[in-house]
Amino acid sequence: MKARLFIAVTALHAIVLPAVAETNFNTHPRFEINPELGVAGDFSGTYKHWRDPSAVEQFASVQTDSSNEWMMNGKNMDIVEDDFHPGHLAVDEGEKLVNLWEHREPGFKACLGSGSTDLEGIAARYPLYDEKLGRVMTLAARVEHCSKKVLWKNFKQGSPMNANITLYLKSLSNGQPIQIAVDSGPMKEAYLRGETLFYKRVGQLNFACASCHTPGSIMGNRLRGEVPSTPFGDVSHYPTYRSPVGEVEVLHKRFMRCLKQMRAKPLKPGDPAYVDLEVFYTSMSNGYPITAPSIR
Amino acid sequence: MKKILIAALAVTLSACGTVQPVKNKSASVSPMKFPCLSYSLACGNIPVRKPVKKELEGELSGNIDEGRKIAFTKKRGNCLACHRMKGGTQPGSRGPDLTAYGSLKRSDEETYALVYDMRWRVPDTLMPPMGTNQILTEQEIRDVVAFLQSSK
Repeated sequence: MKARLFIAVTALHAIVLPAVAETNFNTHPRFEINPELGVAGDFSGTYKHWRDPSAVEQFASVQTDSSNEWMMNGKNMDIVEDDFHPGHLAVDEGEKLVNLWEHREPGFKACLGSGSTDLEGIAARYPLYDEKLGRVMTLAARVEHCSKKVLWKNFKQGSPMNANITLYLKSLSNGQPIQIAVDSGPMKEAYLRGETLFYKRVGQLNFACASCHTPGSIMGNRLRGEVPSTPFGDVSHYPTYRSPVGEVEVLHKRFMRCLKQMRAKPLKPGDPAYVDLEVFYTSMSNGYPITAPSIR
Repeated sequence: MKKILIAALAVTLSACGTVQPVKNKSASVSPMKFPCLSYSLACGNIPVRKPVKKELEGELSGNIDEGRKIAFTKKRGNCLACHRMKGGTQPGSRGPDLTAYGSLKRSDEETYALVYDMRWRVPDTLMPPMGTNQILTEQEIRDVVAFLQSSK
């Protein structure tokens, strides 16, 4: 009897399930991204216009069509001469906080610097795998961790305090090229997970990150008033002062804003999924110098 | 007295409950019902809804003006984000130009099915499945189709 039922069910399946074309509706088509190339692997063809300030300057002066502005990848905002903006205030605030807390609780700086109190250049190596903690740490996660461990406070990721300190640490690496290794171990695993998330279709609008930031997608096209640009080289200027938002925005807050617009559930800053995505995004900025503070 | 109070309360409550349903407004659906990036939340495991080829039942009976409003409003159809449309300002450029869609002489049935869910024809499309993902109601899609067919 059971066997007969089994055959009947299988037969039913054969009828009900038609031969579907092999499309995975859960993901956006993938692109070849070589993590070894870093920012030079940019698939948008625009890297030549923003690979350094002189290229940006040249392209900005040559191009006359505003619809080409996206090709500068926003880097034209970094070369403005009189560039005083609230991002600088945030850096000052962050510096004040770090020095104040180092004064009250010696060891805060050493914790931020993973043992060294010299904080210059550390931001260029984040996110990294912390063997002692056994997890991939972003810079903001390090600030949160050290605030808890040394100060008995909680500078939560996504909070203004955390953002200001993170931006201050990043500003100490201003001009240094991002160098993270994603070729082995937990970092490679995080990279691969982040890559999967980049192509995962989410939300009511059924978009993936890739729907706006890969060739053939909306990238380079108008999305009403905006033109999505390449994801390469983007991480180098975060956290950034966002003039439309009026605050220093950390990368995870930017992710949240994107996901809200995709009508997907935004996750909290510091979520493991965001960490993986940050590893993937940062590897796409490998070799590109950090700009902090910046304005967008 | 108590009874009167309870009765009054009941009346008030029922009045609250029967606030006129806003006609032709897309019901907002919780984002938790759709896939998300999370590893821990339930939405992280939700698969994308399967493509649906929706049949148009009966007459189209769409409202052109309403359709235009839906197509131009960010929180509703927002077709303008990607398409040029008749009368729309600051349109997007990724999707096909729809300013003269009505001249293409495509049937209401086909247009309706494509706005409802484009994926049955173009599996890798960027266009959100307006019907399948409950972005627009069936009547709203009828309105949008009427607006498209009137664009000449």
